Amino acid sequence: MAAIPTTVEASQELLVGDLPEQLSLGQDAWRRLKRNRLAIIGLVIIAIFLVTALVSIVWTPYATWRQALGPTYQGPTLAHPLGLDDYGRDILSRVMGGAAIALGVGVGASFLASVTGIVLGLLAGFYKGKVDVVISLVINVFYGVPDLLIALILVVLIGRGTLNIILAISLTAWLGMARLVRGQTLSIREREYVEAARTIGTPNLMILVRHILPNALGPIIVQATYLVPAAIIFEAFLSLLGLGIPPPAPSWGRMASEGYKALQLAPHIVLAPCAALSLTVLAFNWLGDGLRDAIDPRMRR
Amino acid sequence: MSRGTLLYAAQRLVLISLTAVVVSSIVFIGIHQLPGNALASERRNNPATEQALLHHYNLDLPWPQQYLLWVEGLSRGDLGESLVNMGVQITPLLLREAKVSVTLGLAAVLITIGVGLTLGTIAAIRQNTWVDYVASTSAVIGYSVPSFVWAFLLILLTVSGFYAWTGGLVYEDIGWGKIEQIPVPALALGLPYAAIVARLTRASMLEVIRQDYVRTAWAKGLAARVVILRHALRNALIPVVSILGPLITGIITGSVVIEFLFGIPGLGQEFVTSILSRDYNIVIGVFTFYAVLVGLANLIVDLIYPVLDPRIRY
Repeated sequence: MAAIPTTVEASQELLVGDLPEQLSLGQDAWRRLKRNRLAIIGLVIIAIFLVTALVSIVWTPYATWRQALGPTYQGPTLAHPLGLDDYGRDILSRVMGGAAIALGVGVGASFLASVTGIVLGLLAGFYKGKVDVVISLVINVFYGVPDLLIALILVVLIGRGTLNIILAISLTAWLGMARLVRGQTLSIREREYVEAARTIGTPNLMILVRHILPNALGPIIVQATYLVPAAIIFEAFLSLLGLGIPPPAPSWGRMASEGYKALQLAPHIVLAPCAALSLTVLAFNWLGDGLRDAIDPRMRR
Repeated sequence: MSRGTLLYAAQRLVLISLTAVVVSSIVFIGIHQLPGNALASERRNNPATEQALLHHYNLDLPWPQQYLLWVEGLSRGDLGESLVNMGVQITPLLLREAKVSVTLGLAAVLITIGVGLTLGTIAAIRQNTWVDYVASTSAVIGYSVPSFVWAFLLILLTVSGFYAWTGGLVYEDIGWGKIEQIPVPALALGLPYAAIVARLTRASMLEVIRQDYVRTAWAKGLAARVVILRHALRNALIPVVSILGPLITGIITGSVVIEFLFGIPGLGQEFVTSILSRDYNIVIGVFTFYAVLVGLANLIVDLIYPVLDPRIRY
C-alpha cells in the first residue's frame, strides 16, 4: 500500500528531480516582492512599528498617563524629544503607546472583517441562489451608507472599549472583502479542477477549503493588508469625534483631537501622532501595492 | 436625454427612496429597542410634564405603532421634531444643513477631479521620467495622509502661516459663511481622493495612449493638446468615472470629521452632536438624508457614463 503517492505534494516531490527549478506560488511572489523597493521600505517601517508597539506594552520612557512631567505645551527638549502635551505628558511615550493601540485595532479589525467577509463571500459565491440573494442584498444596501455613521451609532450603543471599536469597524469593513471573495468564488467554482473534485465526490466543505479558498488567497491577502491602514484611520476618525477608545489610552486620533485646540500655540502635540499615523498607513499601502503586483503578475506595469 | 435614460433615472429614483426607507427603518427600529433617549436623560420632577412630553413625541406608544406613524410622516417628507431643541422641525433644519454639506462636498469633488486628472495625465505622458516619479510618489503619500491630517497642515499653513509671513496683513479664520472659507476644508477633504484619482488616471491613460487611434491622431499631425485631451483623456476617463461612486461615499464620510474640526454647520456636525446628546430623531433624519444624497450622487455618476462612452445605453 505504500509505494503509490496519494497526495499532490507527494507526486510533485517525485517530479522535482526532473525540473530545473520549482518555486511555490508563495516563493515566487516573495521573490518579486523583494525586488520592489517601496514594498521593502514599507516592510521595514512596519517592522519598526511592530517592535515599537510590542516594546511599549512593557516599557515606555515615561508612563503614557503620567501628567505634569514638566511645563505643559513644552516643545521638544532632550528629556522629551517630542515635547509635552497639554497635561504635561511625554508625547514620545504616548506615540509609542499609540502604536500598540493602532496595531491592535488595525490587525484586529482587519482579521475580523476578513474572516467574516471570506466566509460570507464563499457561501454567496459557491451556493448562489437564495444564499447569494440575501448576502448580496445586505452588501448592496450597506455599501451605499457612509460606514462612519454606522460605526458611530454602534459605538454609542455598545460602548467604547477596544473590542467594541474593533467590532464597530469590522461591521462595515467586511463588505468589501465579501464582495471580492464572492466574485472570485463565482469564477473559480467553474474551473475544471473544481469540477474534477466534485466528480470524485469531494464534499462541498472540502471543495471550499481545499480548492476554492487557496486559489482566491492572493487577492484576499492584498485586501486584508489594505484593511489594516483603513481600520487605523477609522479609529482615528472615531477618536477625533470623541467616540474612540476612551482616555487616558493614548490613541493617535485622540492625541490629535486633544492637541487640536492648541494647534497654533503648540503644533507638535498634533503633528507627532499625525506623522506616526500617516507613516504607518503609508507603509501598509506600499506593502499592499507591492503584494498586489507580486501576487498578480498581470497587474505589473 | 433619451426616453430610455429618463425611464432608467425614474427607476433609480424609486430605488433610492426605497433604500432610504429601508436604511432609516433599520436605524429607527434599532434605536428604539434601546433604553434611554434625550428625554429620559434629563431629570424632570413633574411626572405629568414627562408624560405630556412622551405623549408629544409618541414615545408612550409601543414601538411598532411609533414606527408606522414615523413612516407616515416620512411619506409626507416630515422627519419629526428634535428631542433636545423642542419645537424645532427636523426636515427644514436638515435641508438647510444639507445645502452646506453639498456645497462643501461639491467643492471637494471638484478639487479631487481637477487635481487628480491633472497629476495623473501629466504622470502618464511623462512616464518613467522624474515628473512621473514625483507625481506617482506624491499620489501614494497623498492618500496615505488622512483628510484630518491634511486639515491640520492646511490650518497651520493658512491660518498661522499666512498671518506670520505677511506680518498680520492676511488673516483668515476657519469657519463657514464666507466664500474664502470654503477652499481649505474642501482641499483637506479632497486631497486623499485626488491621489486615488491620479493613480487611476495614470494607469488608464498609459493603456489608452498606446492604442492605434491615438497613434493615428499623432500621425495626422494634431496638436499634442488635442490628442491628449480630446482623444486620449476622454477614453481614459471611463474607468475613472467608475470609482466616483465609492469616492463620493468616502467624501461624505470624511466630511463628518472635517465639518466637526472646522466648525462647519453641515449634516456631519449635526450627526455628531445629535448622537452625543441622544437626539435620536435627528440621527435617523441625517441617516435618511445621507442615504438619499449617496443615491443621487451615484445616479448622477451613472448618467455621466453614456455621455463619455456612447456604447453604454440605458
